[in-house]
Amino acid sequence: MDGTQLSRRGFLGMGLAAGVITLTACGSDSDDKGSSSGNATAASLVMTVWGGENDKTTYQKRIDLLVKKFPELKVTLQLIPSDGYAQKVQTMIAGGKGPDIMQVAESVNVYSSKNQIQPLDELASKAGLDLEKRFGSIGKLYSYQDKVYAIPDRSGAMIVFYNKALFEAKGIKPPTADWTWDDALSAFKELTVPGKQWGYAGSGWWAQWWSFVYQNGGKIIDDSGRPAVATDEVIEALQWSGDLIFKHGVVPTQKQYADMGADVGGDQAFANGKVAVNTTGFWGISGLTKSAIDWDIAPLWRGKEQAVTAFGSGLAISRTAKNPEAALKAIDFLTSPEAQQQIIATGQDVPANIEVQKSDAFLKPAWMTKPVNMNVFGESSDFVYRAPFIPTWNEMQKAFEDGLADFWLGKQDARTALTAIQKRLESIVKPG
Amino acid sequence: MATILSAAAPPQRDQQPESEPGRSRERVLGVFRATPFTYATLIVVSAVLCVPLVFVVSIALASDQTVNANTFTIFPREFHWENFTRVFGTDLPMQRFLLNSVIISTGAVIGQVLSSGLVGYAFARLRAPGKNTLFIVVLATMMIPAQITMIPQFILFKELGWVNTYLPLIVPNFFSNAFNVFLVRQFVSRLPSEIDEAAMVDGLGFFGIYRRIMLPMLSPVLIAIGIFTLTATWGDFMGPLIYLNDETKMPLALGVQYITSTSAALQAPPWNLVMVGSILLTLPMILVYYLGQRYLYEMDISGGSAGVK
Amino acid sequence: MSRLRRREAMWFYLFASPWIIGFVVFLLGPMVASIYFSLTDWDSFTPPKFVGLENYTRLLTEDPVFWKALWNTFYYAAISVPLGLGIGLWLANLLNKQVRVRKVFRTLIYLPTLVPLVATAMIFKMVLAPSGPLNDVLGVAGIPGPSWLLEAIWVKPALVLLSVWGAGGATVLLLAAMKGIPRELYEAAEVDGAGSVRQFWSITVPQLTPIIFFNLIMGLIGAFQVFSQVYILTKGGPNNASQMMVPMLFDEAFSFYHMGYASALSWLLFAVILVFTLLAFRTARRWVFYETEVN
Repeated sequence: MDGTQLSRRGFLGMGLAAGVITLTACGSDSDDKGSSSGNATAASLVMTVWGGENDKTTYQKRIDLLVKKFPELKVTLQLIPSDGYAQKVQTMIAGGKGPDIMQVAESVNVYSSKNQIQPLDELASKAGLDLEKRFGSIGKLYSYQDKVYAIPDRSGAMIVFYNKALFEAKGIKPPTADWTWDDALSAFKELTVPGKQWGYAGSGWWAQWWSFVYQNGGKIIDDSGRPAVATDEVIEALQWSGDLIFKHGVVPTQKQYADMGADVGGDQAFANGKVAVNTTGFWGISGLTKSAIDWDIAPLWRGKEQAVTAFGSGLAISRTAKNPEAALKAIDFLTSPEAQQQIIATGQDVPANIEVQKSDAFLKPAWMTKPVNMNVFGESSDFVYRAPFIPTWNEMQKAFEDGLADFWLGKQDARTALTAIQKRLESIVKPG
Repeated sequence: MATILSAAAPPQRDQQPESEPGRSRERVLGVFRATPFTYATLIVVSAVLCVPLVFVVSIALASDQTVNANTFTIFPREFHWENFTRVFGTDLPMQRFLLNSVIISTGAVIGQVLSSGLVGYAFARLRAPGKNTLFIVVLATMMIPAQITMIPQFILFKELGWVNTYLPLIVPNFFSNAFNVFLVRQFVSRLPSEIDEAAMVDGLGFFGIYRRIMLPMLSPVLIAIGIFTLTATWGDFMGPLIYLNDETKMPLALGVQYITSTSAALQAPPWNLVMVGSILLTLPMILVYYLGQRYLYEMDISGGSAGVK
Repeated sequence: MSRLRRREAMWFYLFASPWIIGFVVFLLGPMVASIYFSLTDWDSFTPPKFVGLENYTRLLTEDPVFWKALWNTFYYAAISVPLGLGIGLWLANLLNKQVRVRKVFRTLIYLPTLVPLVATAMIFKMVLAPSGPLNDVLGVAGIPGPSWLLEAIWVKPALVLLSVWGAGGATVLLLAAMKGIPRELYEAAEVDGAGSVRQFWSITVPQLTPIIFFNLIMGLIGAFQVFSQVYILTKGGPNNASQMMVPMLFDEAFSFYHMGYASALSWLLFAVILVFTLLAFRTARRWVFYETEVN
């Protein structure tokens, strides 16, 4: 092999090719067949969602109802595997043609801050859709710079799962929203059998320990948009979470979790009776309907104040949607009680529509095998804090994941870890 | 010109390497004799490699309760064979996925096998100005991570109107790829050049040499390319994820991704069904490799004139 | 150039044209585009903004993760490539013997590379658990096993282990090549009284060098671009202890939407791989035996 280099002329040609690519990358919204025809609202829409088989079934049922009611709307559902969702949507948009309606969640403002999804306030008010009336406190959850970019679709607070048998055996009353941190800790201690059983599954996931941060009066991002994780409130809350593992021994260590099996987290440890209390989302319920243990759910305990993370997703309209009115009309119907009932009927998730959350269809779903206190979701919804869905959400999560690795192994205290993370966040999070 | 000479004259047989050491009635040479130690080593190695796969089967046969509580064991304790039928009973068109996998992989294999031998042979044997530079470019294309050219490539295929068709997954294979070009080049370079020279003298043109002499001798490596292309295409879900929109066009590998996929981030997938999907995805490849070995390792490639098949 | 040479050159370009056309049509544009993007600030949505070499200087001077990921990638490549080559050769040699049911053995040894990674990763988390089967075995030998995936110093060896598990993949080409070694060479050696080990080193290995070289180059490129294993098994954790170049690039491109930065990263990686590949080609003259000189 002789080490001949590419000639200068070769590079020039390549430069031309790059120009062509760039032009096509930014210019074309070209092929779009069969979209908007004569009728103002008649449209064929592409809707992307993530998930698995049950998600497909549920969304399709809702779309079928929509098309039955508005035959002029044609909606094509594209189910994308969760892990590939962001990438697929990113590629679609970069290719010049995003979906018309897309499911979004915590990273919604990646798209809104880059003008890839449309502000919906005007469209919604024109269509007579009152977000606060329909969704309560989370109506404007997916906002950026005071504009709404997505309509809530699914939303459920994190809830407490507790092992009834273990609680009764120790004579402990079921957890309530009025439990303090100390109440929780003393219950966990009683429920712990060293090396065999633990009082609590732990709070190593952001949704968990952030709840305690907000309960403690702290904030991850302060009101001016700056990271504020090295404050006493945040440090205290994180340290409490860590102490549950290393000081009190009421939460399994990572090593103990790894020994329970591959990918075992709180949900699995709770299902096999190894932990007495677990804090997780709605999905825990469907997993437990066939479980051998006796369980129920309760709202999350409180700190100085009441606060809890909510899980959910919304529906947004992309910049390239040819007929935003039709897309909003579709979303309006999909989040109406009639369509949202399907979300609970299939056991997929908690519908965001509060009317449905209070209905019997939600409180006593047909698939439920035992009485479960489904009121908990309604009760918790008042406590949901407004999580900081910043445009750099993914980077922020990575900063926490990296920066807390040693903390969750018990090799670092909360103050040291959070001080370092604060510094890193200051370069990631631009107030705006 | 040399072509006036009879092109049909076969090259001399005795110049072909004897390629079947210790086969059939021939005496087994010492170096190929299997000792008890050989067997012991192979059994231990196979066992170690297969323990994880026993795990896969064990999880595939587990009940949903076991999955939720994550209390799996290495060796199966329960035998829920119905998991295998459950995968086909979902709202996902598994049979269709399987058919699509077959279509896409077959196209890709045909493309690579047809094109790679020709290009690789050229790089190994033919002399031309600029060849070395070109070969550096061939290698260089492998050094740039595919992830980074993905979006520009998507835009390219979109401009061609190929999005949501099989074309982006099949057509590029008809233009070979760096891996296979390099591979064929290495294999050809192991063959003595007297073979081509003799054929040259006999008046075979370059294409004749390739078709009548090289191709038969390269058949094992082309089979290997077929197997590599097949398994790579069969298991690939990233390409289909990006290029296909309609469920009815998606391959099985993407189907397994759907089984793995949950609606909430921390929700655990139904591991038993994930493993069933993985097994269903793997079995055809195992079969292909098992049966393909005949052509890979056991074929008699010593007859040069066998090219006229 | 003589007429014959010209004709030969013409045939070369004719034969090589599938690859050349494919390269120009499908690859050249995207590659050049990524060079251009590496000089821009681009989120993949809004028009790219030209920033010159800023992405490169930031990577090389300001990004602590880059150096960590580069070091991890070196570590991984330096161990997994030679190990994979050695084990592959050893296994291929065993499988080339007159073993009963050798088809079954060959299949079992190749099998690990066929299983989808979602399944493999799940299983490896179980096998590598602090009191999992692997540590049990180590325990029998009196070695206290570490918490493989949880400890910064053990997570890279765990990934190497995963790569070794798939080392059987290399046997396919080696076996196919072994079948092409002339029998007379072994016969002559046997007459000379050379033992199996001696024959392996003096006949088998030299005859296989073009394929070993191929495996080396592909192993290098593959190891430097290791992605899925890391992404699925460790996500680069804990605290980037197992972060490697391509997973980092993937995060930057598809999770943080720094497409320009990721493009710069990929061209730096390209340079690293190129250097190692050229080095390998340099040394190849001394140990790779071609029947015909390839040049």
